[in-house]
Amino acid sequence: MTRKILSGVLGVVIAFLVGALIMLLEGYEPLATYGALAQFSLGGIGPFATTLKNSVPLVLTGLSAAIAFASGPVNLGQPGQLVFGALAATLGGLYFSLPPALEIPLLLLLAIAGGALWSALAGLLRQAFGMSEFIVTLMLNMIADFFTAWAIAYPFMDRKAFSPMTPPIAQSGWMPDIGPLSSSVLLMFAAVAAMWFVVQRWRAGYEWRITGQNSLFARLGGCDVRGNFMAVMLVTGALAGLAGGLVVMAGPHRFIKGLGANYAWDGIMIAIMANNGLLETLIYGVFVAAIQTGALGMELITNVPSEIAQVLQAILVLVIVATREYAAVAFDRLAARRQARRRAP
Amino acid sequence: MNIVVGLITGMIAGATPILLAALGGMLTFYAGIFNIAMEGMMLMAAFAAVLGSFVFHSWVIGLLFAVAGAMILALIFIFFSVTLDTDEFVTGIALNLFAVGSTTYLLRQIFKVKGVFTSKLIDSIPNIRIPLVEKIPLLGPVVSGRNLIVYLAVVATIFCYYLVFKTRFGLRLRAAGYNANSLDSSGVRTSRMRIQSLLLCAVFCGLAGAFLSLGYVTLFAENMTAGRGWISLAAIILVDGHPYGIALISLLFGFFDGLGLFLQSYGVSSQFTSMVPYIATLGALYVYARRNRERERKAL
Amino acid sequence: MDDFISLEHIVKVYPPSVLAVDDVSVGFRRGEIHSIVGENGAGKSTLMKLLYGLVPYDSGVVKIDGAPMHFRKPGDAIAMGIGMVHQEIELIPQYTVWENVVLGAEPVRGPGGVLDTKRAIELVRRKIEEFQFHLDPSAQVERISVAARQKVEILKLLYRNVSVLILDEPTAVLTPQEIPQLFAELKRLREAGTTILFISHRLDEVLELSDRITVMRKGKKIATVAASETNKEALAQMMVGRQVIFTSKRTPHRRGDRVFEAKNLCVTRRDGLKLLDDVSFSVHAGEIVGIAGVEGNGQFELVNSIMGLTAPNSGSIAVNGREICGLSILERRKLISFVPQDRAKMGASLAASILDNAIMTHHRLEPRFAAWRGLVLNYRNARAFTDSLVQRFSVQTTSSQSPFRSLSGGNQQKLILGRELLLSTPFFLMDQPTRGLDVGSIEYVHGEILAMREADRAVLLISADLEELFLIADRILVMHRGQIVADLATERTSIEEVGRYMLEGKKTA
Repeated sequence: MTRKILSGVLGVVIAFLVGALIMLLEGYEPLATYGALAQFSLGGIGPFATTLKNSVPLVLTGLSAAIAFASGPVNLGQPGQLVFGALAATLGGLYFSLPPALEIPLLLLLAIAGGALWSALAGLLRQAFGMSEFIVTLMLNMIADFFTAWAIAYPFMDRKAFSPMTPPIAQSGWMPDIGPLSSSVLLMFAAVAAMWFVVQRWRAGYEWRITGQNSLFARLGGCDVRGNFMAVMLVTGALAGLAGGLVVMAGPHRFIKGLGANYAWDGIMIAIMANNGLLETLIYGVFVAAIQTGALGMELITNVPSEIAQVLQAILVLVIVATREYAAVAFDRLAARRQARRRAP
Repeated sequence: MNIVVGLITGMIAGATPILLAALGGMLTFYAGIFNIAMEGMMLMAAFAAVLGSFVFHSWVIGLLFAVAGAMILALIFIFFSVTLDTDEFVTGIALNLFAVGSTTYLLRQIFKVKGVFTSKLIDSIPNIRIPLVEKIPLLGPVVSGRNLIVYLAVVATIFCYYLVFKTRFGLRLRAAGYNANSLDSSGVRTSRMRIQSLLLCAVFCGLAGAFLSLGYVTLFAENMTAGRGWISLAAIILVDGHPYGIALISLLFGFFDGLGLFLQSYGVSSQFTSMVPYIATLGALYVYARRNRERERKAL
Repeated sequence: MDDFISLEHIVKVYPPSVLAVDDVSVGFRRGEIHSIVGENGAGKSTLMKLLYGLVPYDSGVVKIDGAPMHFRKPGDAIAMGIGMVHQEIELIPQYTVWENVVLGAEPVRGPGGVLDTKRAIELVRRKIEEFQFHLDPSAQVERISVAARQKVEILKLLYRNVSVLILDEPTAVLTPQEIPQLFAELKRLREAGTTILFISHRLDEVLELSDRITVMRKGKKIATVAASETNKEALAQMMVGRQVIFTSKRTPHRRGDRVFEAKNLCVTRRDGLKLLDDVSFSVHAGEIVGIAGVEGNGQFELVNSIMGLTAPNSGSIAVNGREICGLSILERRKLISFVPQDRAKMGASLAASILDNAIMTHHRLEPRFAAWRGLVLNYRNARAFTDSLVQRFSVQTTSSQSPFRSLSGGNQQKLILGRELLLSTPFFLMDQPTRGLDVGSIEYVHGEILAMREADRAVLLISADLEELFLIADRILVMHRGQIVADLATERTSIEEVGRYMLEGKKTA
């Protein structure tokens, strides 16, 4: 446990050092830049509330990827499932205008259904024809991207807007703010807690875990491997869809062009950093959100373009994972060498 | 008649980057690396090609830059996955993200634009006219007048076939993938074969990227590879890594790519025509999965 | 006589803390056959891998002809004329014999490194003739027999002109009849001046073949003795550290009703090859039925058919009179306990905790593990169950939350065996349950199997180890090319007779 935290912190430190090196080469002040980054993401209640709000889609897609990877299915379809969830929630918000107590749950359910539908397609193609979900979900991402682009450019376009987007959804479907905090953040925490319970305490969660580690063993042990595969695809698709719905309902309140692009691979990346742990996904999700949120503010007071956040993120993944894997080996090797020295004559 | 020629030339242009990237990925496939970084290598190369060509007004320099750009990613890949033994899938995904992030960042930093950069100063890679052949009706306009990289891709396909199946390098390369322990205990270091295959992969992805930004069009756009690296990965898997099979599959994708553009001129909206290559990939995957199932049944 | 190769004070610790070789010094002479014996896990393979440069050692010196050497990779050792054939044969099945042999030392022509196929085949053919190996250089390795593959491995080293040949348990994959042939070839090599280092734990073989024998136990060298001056009992005592009894522990027991019955079972490949060919047999309560046979003669398909991983083309399988073909795996598990041959692949999840491994299958079948109508697992009961399982089968561990992979091989097997024993099933299928275990664990497993017989459960034991079958089985069935070619009562047969059936199938006379 301590080792896990130690190697995680070490990874983050090394990644930031590499980032600092790049900034120095580019002629920027690393300390001032990181300072601004922290100030605009964590410096006070307002910035931190924004960071938390921005972390919602990251954590939820991360959760989706983490559960999928830990249970076997290589579901890389979060980007597609997210935009489908967002589209479903948007359409619901365009056609229904119920009181908030009904409208919000309805739109959330639609988002969940939209995401689950898109992942179910990949799951069915796997079950029925044996098509690997790895490439299928990637292709479905591209198709979902073009499909939603079409939907907001033609049938559901807001004719008053300058770029492709839908009209705003009914106001009763907006996620309310609680003080400075968006209520979508509470939903995110609830989703993490619920998923933890499912994976750690449910019988299905036990079977998912074991199947992800060794599917033949699970199958011979009497687990319902096929059923579990479909269940995991549905649940993870639902999580990504929920992320999409919340992006619309807590953010621009409509489907705007390029909505999904911002979160495309971030969830997968966060799951990888978190080594598919659920709690770790939450922590890294908020961490990445802080970098992204801070980067926008940072651009205002330093000259560093906010795009550097993307570079930093990629470095973070690589260095954190490499440090974790390498540290495990290095610790063991060190212990072995110490023991060998004691045995040597 | 012009429509047919147009479709075929469109097919060739669409196939070229996928073919080159897939040939590069094929070499790492044989070496036993789960390499999904072709997308990133191509994107980096496409950017570097525009940069080199813009600054030096020379497509040759652009091409060299492209290969160097892809090579940078290959070196990072080697450092993490071969030297530090980091998971290949993770390394690949991180590198793809790194390519998207850094090209976007550099686009803003160097060219001061967001989204797309184009300029009259960028020298594009020339088309090659073959003197006598171009006179032949039908065949002439298809075979002659293609971009230099297209001809390079044809040569590369044949080169790869010989490299993999007829040389000492190829025998050791495939051994690295089939059974790394066996190769190691034969006195050849598997890691060396893997490093070499990754460097070669970068050369091919460099050419593919240069074709995208200096051949197919003359500009750089954010994320302009648009999943071609993933399609090339699918192509490798679909034919179990045979170079000629890869060429065939690439042409098929090229055809659907061209078909999309063609349909657009008939009023189908561009969003739907853009989906065609990805749907085609799903179709190919279906055929592959079915064939595999039958083979499995046979094996049992 | 001076030592040609000497290892001095070698220490090797596998990370994080497995002391595999503990201050070992031993010398080998030119042109001798020198056996290294010891139990599984005694460190004999590791010692040889260190010499071969495959595994780095932590301290000590390797000397060849008195000069210190440090091999950092197998290539270095090969360059000095030392070659090793591994326990798991490491050839490339997709390649031909000649491609495997020349890999790493290929003849080429021209500057481009183009393979000179013709010359390569000729070179390999010449080596084959020189050593009378009877191999076809152009045959694909996946299509030749295991014994032939072993020859290819040896040939690969001879092609590189090695003068020291290390063989790691080469007889483990051979039939009783193939072993003398290998020994004849090895003796011929010794006459030609090759030094042979032979790793084994089969004492009869070692005594027959070797000039000298080094015994290892728990990473330490116990002694080096001349083969002519020792015997099996003395070696066994040095190996295990106590006296070992080589006689059967079976007591007479009356067999009960028929529990398991396979009838006319056929599994056919698409190309018509019959992997299981009309297999019929039964197992009764209180009976241990052994299945002998060279690997790949249908045992795999038999196990998969019983467990429900493959559907047989025809025939039926019944347990307690209930037809199980067509049932889901979960339904079968209500009747069948199963210990697979490969723990890591089929019997456990190495990454999961001991608890997660202990409750597999029980989590579906036992009501006390379920809460909320089976939606939620009752982890309190699961923990209590795991603790009692660990205690009852004396699994050495600190906590039920430790990862399964932290257990030693013997303890892993005890946990799996215990888990399956505690399923209240009438029929027990065991596929090589003692493979890779040390003598103590093997005795434990045998004891438990015999106790099951006393408890009137029916046991089907598949084993490649004939001695094991003769030790505990009541009846021995022999499989050959998908058929059961013999059904022999253990008291009225001999290892030689079973070996003959394994190799030749049905008696033609």
